[in-house]
Amino acid sequence: MKKHFVGEKAEKTVYAILAIATFFLAWAFITTFTAAGETTPGPVEVLKLLVDSFFEPIGRFTLYGHLYYSIRRVLVGYVVAAVLGIIVGIAMGTSRYAEAIIKPIFELIRPIPPIAWIPLVILWFGVGELPKYAIIFIGSFTNVTLNAYTGAQRVDPTLIGCAKMLGTSDRDIFLRVVLPSSLPQIFAGMQVALSTAWMAVLAAEMIGAQEGCGWIILRGSDTTNIPLVLVGMVVIGVVGLLLATIMRMAERRLCSWNRMDV
Amino acid sequence: MTELEKKKQKDKRKFALISVCSLCIFFTVWYIATAVMHLMPDYCLPSPVQVLEAFIYKLGNKAPDGGTLFQHIVASLKVALSGYVLGAVIGIPLGICMAWFRRIDLFVTPLFDLVRPVPTIAWIPLMILWFGIGLGAKAAIIFVSAFIPCVINSYAGIKQTKPVHLWVAQTFGASRTKMLFTVAIPTAMPLIFTGLRISLQAAWTTLCAAEMLAANKGLGYMIQLNRSLARADLIIVGMLTIGFIGTIFSAGLGKLESKMVKGGKKG
Repeated sequence: MKKHFVGEKAEKTVYAILAIATFFLAWAFITTFTAAGETTPGPVEVLKLLVDSFFEPIGRFTLYGHLYYSIRRVLVGYVVAAVLGIIVGIAMGTSRYAEAIIKPIFELIRPIPPIAWIPLVILWFGVGELPKYAIIFIGSFTNVTLNAYTGAQRVDPTLIGCAKMLGTSDRDIFLRVVLPSSLPQIFAGMQVALSTAWMAVLAAEMIGAQEGCGWIILRGSDTTNIPLVLVGMVVIGVVGLLLATIMRMAERRLCSWNRMDV
Repeated sequence: MTELEKKKQKDKRKFALISVCSLCIFFTVWYIATAVMHLMPDYCLPSPVQVLEAFIYKLGNKAPDGGTLFQHIVASLKVALSGYVLGAVIGIPLGICMAWFRRIDLFVTPLFDLVRPVPTIAWIPLMILWFGIGLGAKAAIIFVSAFIPCVINSYAGIKQTKPVHLWVAQTFGASRTKMLFTVAIPTAMPLIFTGLRISLQAAWTTLCAAEMLAANKGLGYMIQLNRSLARADLIIVGMLTIGFIGTIFSAGLGKLESKMVKGGKKG
């Protein structure tokens, strides 16, 4: 154990670089020297296309345009879903009447995956921007609601009892006890919801759109342009990672008093 | 005490009644809005009665999407289960190995982190290009979607083994293999099951997407085809079936979990 202790971080980096280098070399090797190269492009080709797509349009827009559309859709649907989801979830967690009224309907709808809504939503709203917002909304709403609900439900009853005994008003109990103590749970829900939203936008764009990251990969597959598919996947992965990182940083800021030691 | 219990029971009955009323109101409003007032055309939102009729019709008839409801369910299950089982069988041992053996951890984890942020849906076009549109491509996509949560959760499960427990085992002369099987894996069990549950949900979602893009049978195909035919009643039947089967799956896994996981649940 002691031997590792000194250079543990350095060792980790070396191995990581080694692993990734091996991966790319193997990829390049297989595509240049075996039959797989006929169907699958090598890493150099993909990288070149990735750089190009920032300047040359794919379809109607350059990569920036597609990114702009995808991210805007996610943000609109997600923000609406988060706000509504938190309200509904907390209402269900704090009032037994709200719980009794909303829960059965919620449980009826919850198990349907957001993607299964796509055909119905397209039938309802056509093919503009609205159906995409709706699908992303559905995808994130259930996650946020469910987590806000469990968060508000699991508030330590002792804390509420204490506050009540000290004469706190109902409004203050809600604002100063219930809300803060369910915040970490709400954030967990919002994190899951954001990655679901990112997935849902891809699905929505693959099924009916003329722009966006999901459209890029579908276009690549329709024209058997595998480098384009891979470029799309790389971009999607990077954006997904960025969104998750931003969310985690926001959580660290806002819930620093309640760090769960995981 | 009995007074309190009585009140609790009364409360329970009252809230159950409210729930039932709420569901009834939901369906009544839906019925009135569609069948009586025709707020939306039938091809957009049919009445609940029409949905029920479509469900009964679909049980025995192949039109208009080329399969009875049962045939679609079987087609979807075949794809979902083959991909899911493969993902779990490969993913869980890989996660355990990554957490248990230092060198594998150092080497495989960066590669895994490279692939992980890409949502499974983004793999669909690539898989279709590689494997065609048969069972292979769909099973491969579901494999990816089930594989990733399985690896992450079994990795985290093994990593949370308390060193003290391992030291105890070591003191009593357990070999490293024995420590893995008697200490680390039982500790990881609850998280492994969480992984199985998450990946089941992911697999079922991804299946819908895969079938909507390329298939000629299955529930996802059924709802996608009925959209182009503007048959909202059949779409809703399909959606409810998808949701219902997903619920049955997670209930089944929950049963299995309570049987397999030793010790109490952590709060």
